[in-house]
Amino acid sequence: MVLSRMLRERLLSRLLVVIGAGVVVVAVALDTLLPGATPGFGRGQLLLALAGGAVMASGGVLPRLLVGARLVPSAEELRSLGRFAALAIQLGLLVLVIREFRIESPAFYKTVVPLAACGFVVHHLLPTPFRLPFFLVLSLAGIGLVFGWTNGAWLLAVGLVLVGLCHAPAPFAVRVGLVAVVGVSLALMRSGRLPAPWSAAIWPILGSMFMFRLIVYLYDLRHTREPVNVFRSLSYFFLLPNVAFPLFPVVDFATFRRTYYDEDPYRIYQRGVRWMLLGTTHLVLYRFVYQYVTLSPGDIATVGDLARYLVANFLLYLRVSGQFHMIAGLLHLFGFRLPETHRFFFLASSFSDFWRRINIYWKDFMMKVFQYPSYFQLRRLGDTTALVLSTLLVFCATWILHSYQWFWLLGSVRLAWTDVLFWSLLAVLLVANSLYEVRHGRTRTLGKRVWSTRQSAVFALRTVGTFAVICVLWSLWTSPSLTEWFVLWGGVRMNAPELLAIVAVLAAAVLATTAAVRAGAAALGPAIARQPFGRTAGLTAGVLVAFYVVGRPELSSQFGPHVREVLRDVRLTELNKRDAALLRRGYYESIVGANPLNSRLWEIYAQRPRQDLTDQERITRPTGDFLMKELPPLEGVMFFGAPFRTNRWGMRDRDYERLPPPATYRVALLGSSYTMGWGVGDGQSFEWLLEDRLNGESRGGAARYEILNFAVGDYTPLQQVMLLERKVFTFRPNTVFLVAGPAESAETIRRLALIVRLGVHVPYDFLRETVQAAGVDSATPLLEAERRLKPHETRILAWAYGRIAALSRERGITPVWMYLPMPGDATSLEEVTALTALAHGAGFRMADLSDVYAGHDLATLQVAAWDRHPNAAGHRLIADRLYAALRLEPDAFGVPLPVRAVPGDP
Amino acid sequence: MQGIEATVKDYILGEFLPGTAAGELTESTPLITGGILDSIATLKLVAFLEERFGIEIQAHEAGVDHLNTIGYIARLVRSKQ
Repeated sequence: MVLSRMLRERLLSRLLVVIGAGVVVVAVALDTLLPGATPGFGRGQLLLALAGGAVMASGGVLPRLLVGARLVPSAEELRSLGRFAALAIQLGLLVLVIREFRIESPAFYKTVVPLAACGFVVHHLLPTPFRLPFFLVLSLAGIGLVFGWTNGAWLLAVGLVLVGLCHAPAPFAVRVGLVAVVGVSLALMRSGRLPAPWSAAIWPILGSMFMFRLIVYLYDLRHTREPVNVFRSLSYFFLLPNVAFPLFPVVDFATFRRTYYDEDPYRIYQRGVRWMLLGTTHLVLYRFVYQYVTLSPGDIATVGDLARYLVANFLLYLRVSGQFHMIAGLLHLFGFRLPETHRFFFLASSFSDFWRRINIYWKDFMMKVFQYPSYFQLRRLGDTTALVLSTLLVFCATWILHSYQWFWLLGSVRLAWTDVLFWSLLAVLLVANSLYEVRHGRTRTLGKRVWSTRQSAVFALRTVGTFAVICVLWSLWTSPSLTEWFVLWGGVRMNAPELLAIVAVLAAAVLATTAAVRAGAAALGPAIARQPFGRTAGLTAGVLVAFYVVGRPELSSQFGPHVREVLRDVRLTELNKRDAALLRRGYYESIVGANPLNSRLWEIYAQRPRQDLTDQERITRPTGDFLMKELPPLEGVMFFGAPFRTNRWGMRDRDYERLPPPATYRVALLGSSYTMGWGVGDGQSFEWLLEDRLNGESRGGAARYEILNFAVGDYTPLQQVMLLERKVFTFRPNTVFLVAGPAESAETIRRLALIVRLGVHVPYDFLRETVQAAGVDSATPLLEAERRLKPHETRILAWAYGRIAALSRERGITPVWMYLPMPGDATSLEEVTALTALAHGAGFRMADLSDVYAGHDLATLQVAAWDRHPNAAGHRLIADRLYAALRLEPDAFGVPLPVRAVPGDP
Repeated sequence: MQGIEATVKDYILGEFLPGTAAGELTESTPLITGGILDSIATLKLVAFLEERFGIEIQAHEAGVDHLNTIGYIARLVRSKQ
């Protein structure tokens, strides 16, 4: 009777807490769950959250009243309740912060995090035997919510087949063989040689779930006698956060099993929240580095630039460490007390130390599956020989497995000499370091180590030295080719003040590290882990509140434009200038200039269907001259699933006569791919829509409007000059619209460098002289040519703008310059200002459409995640905005607008 | 501490933790997860155990499950004697 009463009380209590917590989480995530809701935490959400909190609190009182128990809970119950409440509050704040900063992807901040937060509460309140099955259900729900139920079911089915084969009633070797056969079949599908019945978007996640974990799982099955727990095994593969992170730590199955609730649950959860906060911090820092510190190789001119490039390039690894902290932290919320994935890797004091601190799970995986087995086999050759050979094998395997990983993520194998050289050099350094440690040992302590000043200084020198060498090696690894890496170092100007500054920074780093070591910073991590629950929870909550406040637009609006720009950029996942340029080039050149670690691009490319690559080659033909390419006349192809037709003049447009009919106002539109209407069907481009609208309003009026689309993908202002002279003027336009976008200068320089590199004749004296003055000829590597031309970029662009405007005015044509980015392009205030000044100076009339997408979800305006050209909705928006600009200042553009058919029409 | 435990403890203190007070290293001190035994130290310890106790340790046994504490190590050695 007493037991029954206690059970009823506990069940009712948990039910109320679950319902209340569910309401709180729904309140917090309401604006992300409701389509079209405005982001933010409004009064309604606050009231709902308070109501949820009240229901949760009633869970501690109401059941006791109903069963007639004493109202005052025991001290232990109070402590548990307090800890749980503290965790729930921190988790609520974390959901807000992750959402506010749009951490990583919508799949993560809109689906996985709210799901994990709700799931955490339910999971914790469930009896222990139900927790693992619940976690599995939650993980599968995440897959369904992110990929849709059909694709999710395919992913699950493939996974079940693979895991099932691991447990088939057959000898171990046969099971491995069967898994390999299925793996090869999947690889053929991934490479496009066999059709796959599921969306391309699930490949990176499917690969990420099984490519390494199957190896670990099979290894552990072979060597363990632990009984199989089907929920644990399936949870291991379908881990909840994996659905949002294609780059995933190689979780060890034995560790996953061993560490499950092996400590006080509240301490495990608290560590999880702290690691998620740490992950958020790494990811926000990464965004700052990505947007503001990185340089393009072509921008390196001085030794200071080179140092900045090398350091920023290595710091970009913060993204991987941030993601891994986030993943491991989230798994802690469900009792998986996994070890840390990274440990102060920027502060490694030797190459062995670096290997031990960066991506620890990978190091453990390599040791377990490759190094130890090979070492034990080779011991008959002597311990030192076995150690050297097994270490070299580890690095060889690491190189091959990185290519294997790249294949599953992108669908193509990445084989680069830079990879081979990077891993070989690191292997040599590590072997040398290991042999030194074998001979001389390594200082280890159980407690706090006491450092003398000399020891601290030596340690600091080693740390700074290791960091510097790793920065150099990292630049090699992330270079697209060895040639480009050598170009990085060639032609760098030695600059005495910058050299002194670098030495000063290094000295300061040594001194700071020395002081930190003396102050006991080395023991910082363990010290934090040992802190009392309340202190860690309070500190974490405080930092989360600060994060949230900084992320709110209400605060950022108080600062100047530059601070606002920084705060905007760390809250968004925009590509930086360099990657946006690479993505743009990828459209035309079929290149994938993405590095697995240092670029966001590979994630975008990973989702791209393979057929798009060949489609792009069908819509242009080479000209062999300065234009390089053009649209063929009367071509009709299906491009991105929509008709792409050209008229008899080779314009992506409807047909026009060579000379304008009487009473016709003619506009010539010059631009590149998005002006051409890349990715949208005939009749959906903004110029087409605008022309229809103007003629619709002019119906019955005197004038007609023709907007002739001369845009061609990849054209820069230099090509526009030639196009204008050769073709555009023969159509007698009244106005010329030149459409400019982000990276206008850099793209112009690169195009010129490419033309020279290919030995194409440059038909303009000014350009030829400038190229010659820059010391560029067809033998100059592309990157080096870009670098040499960079100091001349403003003059070159000013020349092109000036010529277009002057030639137009000579013929009585109004030149108009229009700034129009693509959705998702990083638009820098500085760049727009500089371009605007150039265009204004050339004599253009101006139209600024840089804010055309403001207030819209950019993803809904792009052709696809891997292609940021505006889609049909984007073009409609541009057409409306351009129309409004014309209406606002009809005289400014020299376009006489029709009288509105309906007064008051916007 | 019993024979195997004491022998292993002496070895670890002498080889990897010189200068550390014996009382600081207990039978349950985490050796691998606590950063005392890295891969090189683990292989050295394996070689010592094999030689000292006349046993053969497999590659898959050179991990946390068997070598993370002196207690685990002693249990592994006993299981092979």
